Amino acid sequence: MSEPLLSVRDLTLRFGAVTAFAGVSFDVARGELFAVIGPNGAGKSSLFNALSRVYEPCDGAVTFDGRDFLRLRPRQLAGIGIARSFQNLGVFPALTVLENVMVGRHHLMRAGALRGGLGLARAEELRHRHAALEAMEFVGIRSLADAAVQTLPYGLQKRVELARCLAMEPRVMLLDEPVAGMNAAERAEIAELVARVHAERELTLLIVEHDMAMVMKVAERILVLDFGEPIAIGTPAEVQRDERVIRAYLGEELEVAA
Amino acid sequence: MSRSLARRGALPAFAALAVALPFGLSASNLTTATFVVIAAIGATGLNVLVGYAGQISLGHAFFLAAGAYTGAVLGEDHGVSAALWIPAAGVVAAIFGALVGPMALRLKGLYLAIVTLGIVFIGQHVLLNSAGISGGPQGRTFPPVVIGPFDFSPGQTLQLGGLTIDRSGLYYYLGLVILAAATAFAWSLRRTRGGRAMLAVREREAAASLMGVDVGRAKVGAFVVSAALAGVSGALYASYLSFAQPTQFNLDMSIQFIAAIIVGGMGTAAGPLLGSAVVFALPSVLKSLPFVPEEGTGGISVGDLTSISYGLLIVVFLVLEPRGLVGLADRLRSLGRRSAAPDFTPAISLNTPEEAHP
Amino acid sequence: MTQFLQLLFEGVSLGATYALVALGFVVIYRASGVINFAQGAMLLLGAYLISWMAVDVGLPFGVAVLAAMGALGAFGAGFHRVALRRVVGQPTFVLVMITIGASIAVSAAVEAVFGDNQRLLGDPWGSSTFHVGAITVTWVKFWGIVVAAVALAVYFSFDRFTRWGLAMRATAGDEEATLSAGVPVGRVHALTWALAGAMATLGGLFLAGFPSAPAHGLGDAALRAFPAVVLGGLSSSVGAVAGGVLIGVVEVMTSGYAPSWLGTNFYAVAPYVVMIAILLVRPYGLLGVKPAERL
Repeated sequence: MSEPLLSVRDLTLRFGAVTAFAGVSFDVARGELFAVIGPNGAGKSSLFNALSRVYEPCDGAVTFDGRDFLRLRPRQLAGIGIARSFQNLGVFPALTVLENVMVGRHHLMRAGALRGGLGLARAEELRHRHAALEAMEFVGIRSLADAAVQTLPYGLQKRVELARCLAMEPRVMLLDEPVAGMNAAERAEIAELVARVHAERELTLLIVEHDMAMVMKVAERILVLDFGEPIAIGTPAEVQRDERVIRAYLGEELEVAA
Repeated sequence: MSRSLARRGALPAFAALAVALPFGLSASNLTTATFVVIAAIGATGLNVLVGYAGQISLGHAFFLAAGAYTGAVLGEDHGVSAALWIPAAGVVAAIFGALVGPMALRLKGLYLAIVTLGIVFIGQHVLLNSAGISGGPQGRTFPPVVIGPFDFSPGQTLQLGGLTIDRSGLYYYLGLVILAAATAFAWSLRRTRGGRAMLAVREREAAASLMGVDVGRAKVGAFVVSAALAGVSGALYASYLSFAQPTQFNLDMSIQFIAAIIVGGMGTAAGPLLGSAVVFALPSVLKSLPFVPEEGTGGISVGDLTSISYGLLIVVFLVLEPRGLVGLADRLRSLGRRSAAPDFTPAISLNTPEEAHP
Repeated sequence: MTQFLQLLFEGVSLGATYALVALGFVVIYRASGVINFAQGAMLLLGAYLISWMAVDVGLPFGVAVLAAMGALGAFGAGFHRVALRRVVGQPTFVLVMITIGASIAVSAAVEAVFGDNQRLLGDPWGSSTFHVGAITVTWVKFWGIVVAAVALAVYFSFDRFTRWGLAMRATAGDEEATLSAGVPVGRVHALTWALAGAMATLGGLFLAGFPSAPAHGLGDAALRAFPAVVLGGLSSSVGAVAGGVLIGVVEVMTSGYAPSWLGTNFYAVAPYVVMIAILLVRPYGLLGVKPAERL
């Protein structure tokens, strides 16, 4: 059995007197699609932010590909193969779709401002533009290349973000609530897209999500958080049957009714 | 498609107009045009800092001064050729840019704005107290541009075929060449990795960082480019004036450049050009208005009228058309094209956009 | 020693005035996140209005002051309505630039209307003084400190203990939420700007007081209040006061003690030098807090 790609041990984050999450431990294997779910306020997004080095956990350890992950700064994540999407949309509103995706290629390119301005970076630009367009093609937005992102509807903006993540050629994608704020049709599309990304690109995916249906459909293993505590970890089937999970989502009433 | 075609037609026409302009203008209007062209170089620089990288800087006048006095010290005090002191002005100003830039890493928004304000004041103070460099409050002379056979000293003219180009014209063409290069640089920058990094920092700094963008490098880089162009602009400006006092490189000057890029359209290529044409020609336009009294007589002074106009222009444009004249032009153009089909259709069906529009 | 105490008094007095001006900034920033670069211009306008009404029109001084405060309050509220309300949602940069534009226009307009010459302020104190030990205390400066302290206390209690103060803070935190809670946000903003305008007038009054006079240089003097605001931390009213007094003391002390190699009139840039030095160590001012960023 190969080493897990991502290894989290006893991770804890507190904001003053408030505990975002505590004692979180899980492994993500190479190529796995792992989901973190839980009711509102469970600490999922905080966990995500900790895993993208935006928040500093106060306890615990994270190993990524054998390296001490907590020593890394946000800027280094792209270089070691981690890409993330944002819950509140991290796209660059005033830029075009293509420009957005091209920023994803930034860490794979080399030309600085000087060379760019002097026109010495043409070949590199073209090469990476191809890659960007490819990522956009995969996600289904190639025809929108020159549209200003802020003029696009929410669902398309999410796709732009996804394309940008793909363009980074990551090994791991962290998707923060990829279907938040969408209607049923959009959710199905994105779910399918995520599944395709996982299957065709052989990426490791870590998803934080609210929508049970989507998660149960695409995830291979799931971690359930409730009030910052991990309460279950396992396959979708296992998690669905877990009593603590049912109670967390539906409250005590169901037990009594049963 | 049609948009870039229009641009392809417009660019050579615009260039031809720019080249032919001096021959159609009166002496005083040519002077104004020359100032506009020289200032536009600085405005292009500020556009990179403010328009691309989104950093608020009120310190542009400081970098113009840095360039101007470098030119003076090298060109006049040490007899160095203009072919050297013009680029040197850019380099020295760029070094100052590299020193000020890192402050943008620690300080955000308003804090940065006020610090850059302070830099203008401190710069002026240092200059006023360094008579050796600046001639003190009384000011000093600045060297004319002399490159090989081209002598821009007062009174000199150039004969080209049957055409006579006077001093203003010479500065105009030199400025135009440098402006064209600066604009090309800025245009190219926008479309490549470095420029995109600046834009990303402007839009969402945290997200940009997670994509591997070196935010510090982007900001400092923007300061360096901006300062370099300001330095060249300042050196040419002072050289053309041939005499200047340190108090001229003040907050008002910084504001003029800010007004120029706002009016023109921040972040665009044509913005600094259009904006400079409006802002730096404004004083002479106002002077020629019928109800403005001559200097020294009662009533409202041109200086006050100019300042009021700058202020109003900034407010009006930001409230009504924040994308400046370029944005205004876009709006007018799309009014004409309203019947045409939109560029894209939002996905409303279960099909992905690719399937809806094969 | 006497000179030191004398300068200290002058510094605190000037600082109190800066604190007033700085408080005007903070009031607006706390309510809307906008830094009002036009505060200096409003100060200038306030001082000139007082001068005009007290000297030219002949109103009693107190009435002139109140009238000017009212006028400036109305101006501030009006400015917000006409310009700022239309650009809600735009990046801070745009809002800042609008206030800069307004600042330039207003300053120039004041100069255009009232002319370049110095005027009389029309205050009842003039150059009268009294003595505390060996220190000469000018009545104007004394009242400056008192008024600033009172204004501060009033603002504090207003902010902490009244509904409107709470409304202002709520609007600053989350305008939409506050609006949906039924708070008349438009009126809150108008009130905020009116308050800032009134404070600017008071600040202008004392900055223009003896030995100065309402003159063009007043606008520049107001710019020196910026470091006070920044130093104190944009969101802290206590910080504004602390920053203001600190800057005032720095300015007067340097004018008295600065060695000549620092150049003539170093006192005019000393506030900025001190500000930059402190910001490099504490990028959000002495008492400022890093604003939270939503990811």
